[in-house]
Amino acid sequence: MTGAAPLQQGMLPDTIAKLLGLGAFGVAGDVVAALLGAFLVANFLLINTAFAGPWAKRKITAAFTDRIAVNRIGPFGLFVIVADAVRLLSKELVIPEGVDRPAWDLGPILIPFSALLGFAVIPMGSGLQLADPETGLAFAFAASSIASLGLIMMGYASNNKYSLLGGLRAVASNLAYEIPLVVTGISVVLFTGTLQMSAIVEAQQATFVSVAGVAIPQWFAFVNPFAFVLFVLANVAEVGRNPFDIPEAPTEIVAGYQTEYSSVYFVLIYLGEFIHIFLGGAIAATLFLGGPAGPGPAALGIVWFTAKIWAFFLLTQWLRSAVPRLRVDQFIEIGWKGMLVLSFANLVLTAVIVGVLA
Amino acid sequence: MSLEEPEPDVPATVEEQSPDEIAEMLSDHVIGREEHLNAPGYVIRPDAVQDVLSTLKTEAGYDHLSCVTAQEYEDRYESIYHLKKFDDPTQEVSVVVPADRENPVSESADPVFRTADWHEREAYDLVGIEYDDHPDLRRILLPETWQGHPLAADYDQDRPQVVPLRENANPLQEDQRSEQDTDTMFLNIGPHHPATHGVLHLKTTLDGEQVADVESDIGYLHRCEEQICQNGTYRHQIMPYPDRWDYISAGLLNEWAYARAAEDMADIDVPEYAQVIRTMGAELCRIAAHMLAVGTFALDVYGDFTAIFMYAIRDREKAQNILEDLTGQRLMFNYFRLGGVVWDLPEPREEFFEKTRDFLEDLPEALEEYHDLISGNEILQMRTIDTGVLPPEVAKSYGATGPVARGSGIDYDLRRDDPYGYYDELDWDVVTEDGCDNYSRLLVRLREVEESAKIIEQCIDLLEDWPEEDRTIQANVPRTLKPDDDAEIYSAVEGAKGELGIYMRSDGTDKPARFKIRSPCFSNLQTLPEMAEGEYVPDLIAALGSLDIVLGEVDR
Repeated sequence: MTGAAPLQQGMLPDTIAKLLGLGAFGVAGDVVAALLGAFLVANFLLINTAFAGPWAKRKITAAFTDRIAVNRIGPFGLFVIVADAVRLLSKELVIPEGVDRPAWDLGPILIPFSALLGFAVIPMGSGLQLADPETGLAFAFAASSIASLGLIMMGYASNNKYSLLGGLRAVASNLAYEIPLVVTGISVVLFTGTLQMSAIVEAQQATFVSVAGVAIPQWFAFVNPFAFVLFVLANVAEVGRNPFDIPEAPTEIVAGYQTEYSSVYFVLIYLGEFIHIFLGGAIAATLFLGGPAGPGPAALGIVWFTAKIWAFFLLTQWLRSAVPRLRVDQFIEIGWKGMLVLSFANLVLTAVIVGVLA
Repeated sequence: MSLEEPEPDVPATVEEQSPDEIAEMLSDHVIGREEHLNAPGYVIRPDAVQDVLSTLKTEAGYDHLSCVTAQEYEDRYESIYHLKKFDDPTQEVSVVVPADRENPVSESADPVFRTADWHEREAYDLVGIEYDDHPDLRRILLPETWQGHPLAADYDQDRPQVVPLRENANPLQEDQRSEQDTDTMFLNIGPHHPATHGVLHLKTTLDGEQVADVESDIGYLHRCEEQICQNGTYRHQIMPYPDRWDYISAGLLNEWAYARAAEDMADIDVPEYAQVIRTMGAELCRIAAHMLAVGTFALDVYGDFTAIFMYAIRDREKAQNILEDLTGQRLMFNYFRLGGVVWDLPEPREEFFEKTRDFLEDLPEALEEYHDLISGNEILQMRTIDTGVLPPEVAKSYGATGPVARGSGIDYDLRRDDPYGYYDELDWDVVTEDGCDNYSRLLVRLREVEESAKIIEQCIDLLEDWPEEDRTIQANVPRTLKPDDDAEIYSAVEGAKGELGIYMRSDGTDKPARFKIRSPCFSNLQTLPEMAEGEYVPDLIAALGSLDIVLGEVDR
């Protein structure tokens, strides 16, 4: 499985250490370089989220619903991001009586950080990858699952029945859809034979087929589209977007687990949800869409990667505008009776494909 | 599937009993006879209400308890049960139940008609009559702690009553229904909740996510509309208020309810030209109201802001613009007058006709889009088919009308069955669906929009060719209208939500002595527990959305 030039150019902390000459300081230098790298990656995602949350989400929804949305502040209404940041952070943080304090505070913190943690192993192209352990894929799934803990903490600690219902729904949905998600992810591992993210990306470099002189790379979305569709669906459920947004379900249980949160905590939860969408998109892109691969020089990797995670974001917004929400029992039923069976069927199918290709 | 017998193709004529036959049927329960303008009235003994009503229901076929009006006279209290037949609403009787001045008690009609439950609670709340054998005689519109009965003669109108929250029942009730039943959870849905469409409070008991018990707590938007109307003169001062009952663009439909009752009472003939304009305006209002109903129902099922909600609002806006051209207002039209309408179509007429025709032309395409997005969507069908089921017999017992009844296969539409305006001259159909579920009610509304468009188109054709010298928009109505002393009338029109009825009693002055509004939403909302119990919370919300209630009309 060799092909185009390697997309990976070493880990980001190493690059930083080399650039700043931190290698001379031993372990301390490594730590500083790692922290700087993490800071860079986190900020890259936060900037993406800042665009996605207060601005792009509004603009996209408006386009779907025949409206214009924010267009007064700055070019294309972009400065609304600043205005919203100031507005949200200056709101009063209401702490209801009877909330279970440490848990109530930890929940909103856990959500964005668990999502950010998942990005540690994602190869984002252009040398942007913090670490590349051999268990990379397992790490990404595990990190993103920590969010469930945050959700149930918030649901339980809020001392609000709507929150409790939302928290329970979140747990039920995460259980029902995490298994198909991971099992479908494993089908990719059958191809690559490794959990290492860079190796998974590398494995998709080869040419799959050539149509009229255009080489189509061996992205697993092309090799096994069925798995790709399953994975994206399970992913949408995992991040709790329509039609699977039952943990929040604004018209039913007000806002679910986030009912009692305001101000900074509200921002943190929303931040976490958006980073989660991006993480879902990032894992899907890495496993099925060749990660940062795309036409042009390898240095453009980050551009392609960003485009891919935004495409996933766009998909979630499209679904939100057009598809009705399932009822909670139907949702769980689809998870256990449909997705789970299909994901195992897919595993068998992939094994057959691997046998044929090999 | 409907539990009813399929309708015969030729509408069967419903057997009609003469007033004397009915009197005979009720035999010694009748202690007097009255003549109301719309129906014969039978004064019966206060302890024979259930006997009389069940006789009328089973033997004479009066299966629709439309309304219960309570009022106080100098020497007695009185409850009037306005009965009709679902098969032929022109056949009406009023059952008048007097109650003692000192100790106003009469028998409850609840075991015969479930709808009497809320109507009698309202009578108790506002007038002060007590009903024996009532399952749950509490206040319904006013807070539990209220002192006195506001429509009673001895009530001190000037004494303010402040009801602080702490005097009310604690909204944080015990979580369980009982000691033994520890698996349930009490949940307040509303008064502030994204899906209650206004200030409605549902006291819900959940078993897991399933609804074990739900009780509507209404009255948050009670604005004394009946009393306001009792203090206004027939000719001018009442007409602005109907706009404020069902304020979701159904204004003209509400105005027509009052106009019809008052015109029948004072014997005013409305010029034909004005009737055509009224019919057109009313159907525009119906389209606007149904668009909003469909849009918000989609909101309840889809969640958040979805394309379908905005599309519905976009198309409603076009109807709203035409209504604005016609009446000069967007929300509170105040366009009808007794004996006609306030002014003619806007000049230049051609422009108005063209605009309306453009709207009607675009409508089929828009409806196609709705069918693609909503009724054809498989997830929505999964969500709505066979949920919130309301069997026709139950719907009738609760006095459900409008799209709610027609979604349960009840072929009942006052525009056709008790014609007024210009409806009987036009070619259109009554829409019914036999599914009895949330989906049927949605379909009925979507298809009714098509029928309304048909009606408007025919009205436009008529108005275009109407000879110029014959365009009388108002009949001659005396400046001060004083209907005959002691005239009583109950008459209803088909509002956007169902049968909107007005009861009025005249005392010979220029103001009504009693003004009672029969709100379709009030009766329809009463069916919610029947639809929602045993369903999941999302279906409770969907059922509530499919009822299309407006709290302004429920609470009045």
